[in-house]
Amino acid sequence: MERRDFIKLTAVTGTSAALASCGNPEHQLIRFVPEEDIIPGIAAWKPSVCPVCSAGCAVNARVMDADIETVRNGQRGVVRMNVAKKLEGLPKDPISRGGLCARGQAAIQITYHPDRIAQPLKREGARGTGQFKAIGWDEAIAELVSKLDALAASNDQKSLAIVARPRRSRRSELLAEFARRFGGPPPIAFDLFGDDVLRRANAISFGHDQLPTFDLAQARYLIGFGADFLGTWNSPVAQNAAYGEMRQGRPGIRGRFVQVESRMTTTGASADEWIPVKPGTEGVLALGLVHLMNRGPERTAPQAAAASRADAARPFQGGDDEYTPQRVEQITGVPAKRVERIAKELAELRPAVAIVGGPPLAHTNAMFTALAVNALNTALGSVNQPGGIFFTPGAAIQGPAPSPQTPYTSLGTAKVLLIDDANPVYTSPTAWKVKDAIANIPFIASFASFVDDTSVFADLILPDHSFLESWVQSSAESGSLEAASTVAEPVMKPIHNTRATPEVLIEVAGKLKAPVSLPWKDAEELAKSAQPPATSNQRPATSNQRPATSPRPPASSPRFEEPRFDGDAAQYPFHFLPYLSPAFGDGSSAHLPWLQEMPDAMTSAMWSSWVEMNPQTAQKLKVRDGDLVDLTSTQGTLRVPAVIFPGIAPDIVAMPVGQGHEHFTRYASGRGANAISLIAPIAEPETGAVAWAATRVKVARAADANGTLILFAAEMRERPHEYKVR
Amino acid sequence: MVIAFALGLAACGSQPQLSDAVFTTAHRSPGEAARHFFNSHPRPQQPLAFPHKTHIEKKAECTDCHETVERGPVAGIPSVKACMICHSQIATSKPLIKEVTSYSDRGIEIPWQRVYGFYPESHVRFNHAPHIRAKVDCAACHGDVANMTVAERVVDHTMGFCVNCHKQKNASNDCLTCHF
Amino acid sequence: MPHRWGMAVDLDRCTGCGACVTACHAENNIPTVGDSQAARGRAMHWIRVERYWEGEYPDVTLKFRPVMCQQCDAAPCEPVCPTYASHHTDEGLNAQIYNRCIGTRYCANACPYNVRFFDFFHPQWPKPLDAQLNPDVSVREVGVMEKCTFCVQRIHAAAIDAKAANRELKDGEIQPACVQSCSAKALVFGDLNDPESEVSKLSRSDRGHKLLDDLGTLPKVTYLNRPQA
Repeated sequence: MERRDFIKLTAVTGTSAALASCGNPEHQLIRFVPEEDIIPGIAAWKPSVCPVCSAGCAVNARVMDADIETVRNGQRGVVRMNVAKKLEGLPKDPISRGGLCARGQAAIQITYHPDRIAQPLKREGARGTGQFKAIGWDEAIAELVSKLDALAASNDQKSLAIVARPRRSRRSELLAEFARRFGGPPPIAFDLFGDDVLRRANAISFGHDQLPTFDLAQARYLIGFGADFLGTWNSPVAQNAAYGEMRQGRPGIRGRFVQVESRMTTTGASADEWIPVKPGTEGVLALGLVHLMNRGPERTAPQAAAASRADAARPFQGGDDEYTPQRVEQITGVPAKRVERIAKELAELRPAVAIVGGPPLAHTNAMFTALAVNALNTALGSVNQPGGIFFTPGAAIQGPAPSPQTPYTSLGTAKVLLIDDANPVYTSPTAWKVKDAIANIPFIASFASFVDDTSVFADLILPDHSFLESWVQSSAESGSLEAASTVAEPVMKPIHNTRATPEVLIEVAGKLKAPVSLPWKDAEELAKSAQPPATSNQRPATSNQRPATSPRPPASSPRFEEPRFDGDAAQYPFHFLPYLSPAFGDGSSAHLPWLQEMPDAMTSAMWSSWVEMNPQTAQKLKVRDGDLVDLTSTQGTLRVPAVIFPGIAPDIVAMPVGQGHEHFTRYASGRGANAISLIAPIAEPETGAVAWAATRVKVARAADANGTLILFAAEMRERPHEYKVR
Repeated sequence: MVIAFALGLAACGSQPQLSDAVFTTAHRSPGEAARHFFNSHPRPQQPLAFPHKTHIEKKAECTDCHETVERGPVAGIPSVKACMICHSQIATSKPLIKEVTSYSDRGIEIPWQRVYGFYPESHVRFNHAPHIRAKVDCAACHGDVANMTVAERVVDHTMGFCVNCHKQKNASNDCLTCHF
Repeated sequence: MPHRWGMAVDLDRCTGCGACVTACHAENNIPTVGDSQAARGRAMHWIRVERYWEGEYPDVTLKFRPVMCQQCDAAPCEPVCPTYASHHTDEGLNAQIYNRCIGTRYCANACPYNVRFFDFFHPQWPKPLDAQLNPDVSVREVGVMEKCTFCVQRIHAAAIDAKAANRELKDGEIQPACVQSCSAKALVFGDLNDPESEVSKLSRSDRGHKLLDDLGTLPKVTYLNRPQA
């Protein structure tokens, strides 16, 4: 600071300090009379549903009074409100059972985020520059209505596109209804890291088009294939609870846990035995185990299971004949002796169950892998048996139908785009050119609460309430042995001038020149219209819900095929494994400061993105912790700091997804690199799902460490080889 | 420091001030820091001369308005809504009540100034309810408010004051009892 | 008999998920310091998940260990404090009294577990993030030391409730935020003076050990080993 500025500043300060005296109301904000009854200092608890992932944990919000700044009748002031202070799991919820993960607890910061959009915004600057001006709700709604009317007037309703987050809730249904009755195509709901392959495989193997639930609490043996079920996959809170019971919940019995994967996840770290395999060969190991269970000394399992054991491999071309331990060793790299020992343990320690998910189902041969692990469960007799694999009953499949391969192609011809709780610019492979497609759509309205990589392109932002300010509803797809459905009223009144998106849509629908009538009058009615699980099969004919499925054969009788990878192995010698960040998932919670500053369990990194490599690889590349490397796939190049990571094969590099947002609040914007941008858009052929683990990269040392990798207490570590005077 | 200087406005305990973008524990001015350091509580200027005595004479209890004092940590400064429970009917023609009604009509709270209270850096987590249950009279800490018109700070809430009473009543005097 | 609060951490249940870390931030008004201060080792985590790699690929293992203040009975942090800000309570807690603290940081130097954190700056919460702050816990200012309190505000609240209802505290009634959040139930809190409490039973387990036991700090946190497979 210049000396002159300092003098000016002190002069000002002195005057104002002299003027202001404590106990004088003049310098205080006006305090408005609260709309609700306030019981100061005493906490109440109110239920809600965590919005962060699709597990749908019911949460318990601690509600107390706090002063919130607000504007009433053009006057700024504060009002005492009952607001959420802390989120915990709801004890009576069969999913969360009172626990809650780090992301769920940090979700409270969504509501109070300093960069939350507080009122409707209209684009002011050039598209994508993030310059908006505040407007009123009437103007915002009129603008959206006029754009939709214009489509209808030119009989061009097909040019409406809606992009939404794939979730099983009434909200998806509302969007689908709106699109259908308006005359537009169904909403695009795409999850790059979704589990479509597994759902399809479960429909084929078990007749359930849904994610499984595992009765780990009663299992004695658990073999996981790549699924990070204690971290990011499926229903982690429920799975953690059951896992704890499996380990230490039964006197004298401790369930054994083996994890098969090519990069150690937090889940793999908890395993008794960690078995690395070549990427995309996990299914071979599973069928190898089935093979051994049907032959040899391991055929000691209960007689009752004998029939299912024999059946297990039937769907596969040639049965399990070819999956001998020797062949398994040859393909997977797991020694035959080890395969035989695992098979023996599986036969002895019952009940046993197998879990598959994550990277093994992100290869071109994912369907084979999923079916092979399903066959293993069948062979183990663990389907619908205590300690085995279940399907949560009454989980009305309320998700939108899976979007086809390259889901965003229709954006190319769209004239009006509505975006609800989705960030396709960030979560799409570069090759899809989603950013270009969106930038060229004439009118974009977003219901976002934050300016992110996608909503920055919006012409109009109609911000939604946060989940704590909304009616919420969820019916869990998995995680519970019993049906689990939650409907909850808002925990607190909105703190900003936001509106519930369902109500905005209902209002817009009603105001159209050719009004679209929707079967709900407001957000409350929508949430409450969630049918109880018992009657969930009597869905209205108008719904776009997927029908319950019965077992059906796969397109062709599966057989192991080598996974295909994008990028020539000679030019791109490393497998690239992007993985869901335990803190940020697919990046949707990267804006929450608690999660940014939570040290990663495996690396202790905070506020960073990084690439993990085996110590040998690092040595070859002359890379130390924090040194920058260039990762290059056929899709582009990223420069990221390296972390030396013992739990990964020398020919694999792994990178967490979640950072690298161009726009996502002060905490995440411009921080790190987006791993998704390197993913080649290779598809799993049966479902069209992206095989996000099938990209190859080359790695080159780029520069010395520049401080972008931040490790917990790094300065406190003893590193004698790096001693220098600071 | 620059921010602390630049804002320059005095903060008064928990009273809302002209807002800035960040909540911090920093003092807004050297004056505020000095006041807090010397535990000096300037005499509050109340917007209306609330006559405690009149209300007690009309058989109102402290707990009728300071509702949560028996249940929770905070006694509570009543909202103008609480005033209007009675004064939408009673004494509506008196000038003070007209002022109260005017606040209520505008949807604005009467900007009562706190009389007692600890500065944040004292780190005291005081809880009224257990004191009431231990039969500590309101007047023990707040003076004879029942006979005051406008409440005045007549008892100095120093640590010595608290500790003496805790000693007499055999309550814990560990620092952690109050400071956490 | 006074209570003697202690904790048991079952490493066989812990999966390193980090829920306890966030729960602690939410409960105890712990500020985030941002990237540049975090890079200087100034991030504050009253509880953290440590990890220990062993072996080389492919025979590699990783073990997690949540570490919070061990609430030692012979605490190295206490005798070094010139102002008695760091002291032992009747219930066995290592108390840290913020308004006694003058920021010498001797306690952090003395602590072998690295669980004490110094407020290098006035903490900041861009508004309205401050609306989340827990009114039952002090917001610490620049220049003081802070650390895990075993959620003493929850201990007090439960004790006040029990006294109001004229009853004894029940085992399991008090759950610090980390314990409450743990879905795998790896953390158990309770009274070590009650031999029948869950935490007492677990502390007697033959899987149990104390962190850096040979230093003689007598921690009240017992870790239960993950059995070797």
